[in-house]
Amino acid sequence: MVSLVINGQRISAAPGTTILEAAREAGIEIPHLCYHPAFPPVGTCRLCAVEIEGLPKLEPACSTNVKEGMVVRTESPRVVEARRNVLELLLAEHAMDCPICDKAGECRLQDTYQAYSLAPGVYAEDKTRRGKKIALGGGLLLDRERCVLCTRCVRFLESVTKTSELGVFERGDRSEIGCVEGRLVDNNYSGCLAEICPVGAITDSDFRFKTRAWFLEARETICPLCGRGCAVFLESHPGFPRVPGTAKAYRVRSRRDERVNGHWICNVGRYGYGYLEKSRCRELAGPLAKTLNLKAATDVVAPLAAELRALKYKGRQTRVAVVLSDWLTNEELFLAGAVFRRDLEIGRCHLVGPRDGSPDGMLLTAERSPNRAGAKALGFNTEETTLEALARDTDLLIVFGPFLQDRFRPADIASAWAGVKTKVLFTPRDEGLGAAFDLVVPTVWPAEKDGSFTNCQGLIRSFSPALAPPPSAVPEWRLLTALGRAVGLNPSFYIPFRSAGDVRRAMP
Amino acid sequence: MKQAPAVLFEILRGAWITARHFTVNMVFHTLRLFRIRTRRAGAVTIQYPEVKKPIPPRHRSLHRLMKRSGTDRPRCVACMLCATVCPSECIVVEAAEDPDPDVQKVPSRFIIDLSRCCFCGFCVEACPEDALRMDTGRIDLAAYDRGDLIYDLERLLR
Repeated sequence: MVSLVINGQRISAAPGTTILEAAREAGIEIPHLCYHPAFPPVGTCRLCAVEIEGLPKLEPACSTNVKEGMVVRTESPRVVEARRNVLELLLAEHAMDCPICDKAGECRLQDTYQAYSLAPGVYAEDKTRRGKKIALGGGLLLDRERCVLCTRCVRFLESVTKTSELGVFERGDRSEIGCVEGRLVDNNYSGCLAEICPVGAITDSDFRFKTRAWFLEARETICPLCGRGCAVFLESHPGFPRVPGTAKAYRVRSRRDERVNGHWICNVGRYGYGYLEKSRCRELAGPLAKTLNLKAATDVVAPLAAELRALKYKGRQTRVAVVLSDWLTNEELFLAGAVFRRDLEIGRCHLVGPRDGSPDGMLLTAERSPNRAGAKALGFNTEETTLEALARDTDLLIVFGPFLQDRFRPADIASAWAGVKTKVLFTPRDEGLGAAFDLVVPTVWPAEKDGSFTNCQGLIRSFSPALAPPPSAVPEWRLLTALGRAVGLNPSFYIPFRSAGDVRRAMP
Repeated sequence: MKQAPAVLFEILRGAWITARHFTVNMVFHTLRLFRIRTRRAGAVTIQYPEVKKPIPPRHRSLHRLMKRSGTDRPRCVACMLCATVCPSECIVVEAAEDPDPDVQKVPSRFIIDLSRCCFCGFCVEACPEDALRMDTGRIDLAAYDRGDLIYDLERLLR
């Protein structure tokens, strides 16, 4: 370890780390635009220049390695003055259209200007006019007036996706970012470009003008759209207090997790958040809800438990079939196993998830469900099943999740299951599947509940709610706990489960 | 009953104040009638709404959205700073794309709910484009319906 002094604070860092990284470890933030922990430093922005005792000039902290006995000052008057000058030059050609820029509020240049300069422009000349709205492909838009030529985008496409669609053209003050040989950006990670751009030069048409960054509330969650389970921030608007319906998810941002996704997420996860709202199942539905006069989702538990208990006492538990999904958390699958397999001794517990897609070789896996590994570990049957096999000699059919529809047509389901007496569906989404069921109970998506997923690498990671679910929707683990208690075969087992965390502690 | 003398005293004191104002104003008006210049004029009741008091230039009255010079389109770029700064949360802005690359962002919806507005003028202060002003001089904003107090883009541009 190398020991050095930064701003009078004695810190030690591994040899080979840069001053910027060492300072960051110690909690000292050095402003920068072009540095990104995922790429080797280039030192184009010069904002991170710091004063090192014994050296005549300021040195860029992002590309200077730590040395034994180094004395670094990051906030000395000389450094602050240099930063102000660098900002003056960066802003000399910057468009300054913050009011219409989607990056405003989370822009590194804006933050640094606010912290160190706040000086008005000094140049009498007009700024150079450049392309304001250039389509880069992949839904990205380039604004060359805003670009500070940090080349983060170029380096990302070179080193991460290895597709190199973008490059820096021309020289000097005419330098500009452009597509190489007119080839548009086309890869499954293009959304990361808008995220790593430190200014608003590359913006995302998916988020364009939807809202402002400062209105958004970023909460940590795990992307459920493939087996990788990338760590993400789900950014939602808490909603204008007096405008109903304004609370919704606006975008997904990657969250650093070195074990799983590093800094990146794929476009499937980034732009796929529409599933949260699409055909949302919000209310208890189905003919049985009217007959039994059920109001809330939790009212379903008592009649369902009574039915299950009656079948069990008659020794007819073989006439029950359960379809679970691999979008359920480990806790829910464990509870489902405890209720249906252990207590009720139901043999037919199948798992139906969404159809597999094609993997992209990096993060995106073929399976499009977050917890297939967890379901396998808990001993669930992940093999494909047929509608006929589920309907054969069945009186009661309990289905979790909307994914039957990904594999079968709703009309086929309705005709194949016509002979089944009672069919209950627990789902957050209803795209016509609910019509085949006697009872449709609204539940929540993984982003709205707490639990844990086992990803394709076998890592078990827990998460907490990132969004508020519709008021009538209830998480599956809560329903399953109540069901286990109401079935009454093993009630003391379910008593301690007041949260998903309680379930986790009871799991093997 | 114990308080009766005190109450009576207050009533008489009020009557005395009214009588004093009446007399003083009467004297000033009479002197003016005979063209005798006095230190100040006697008080006059303004016959509102037939007669209106001039509104000082910095007075904050009904909002208006400015128009882009030479066009009928709003100058507003839907940056939502007014909605951010508004302490009574009465502004709602939604943005849309403008085909002109120099404009890019325009409001598709701009609502000020005057039934909530406290006329603090923060929205005008926050506006980076000078697109919102409170200088219309309109102060007679009462309405028979709450819905009439919700001003949309069209009414604010007028």
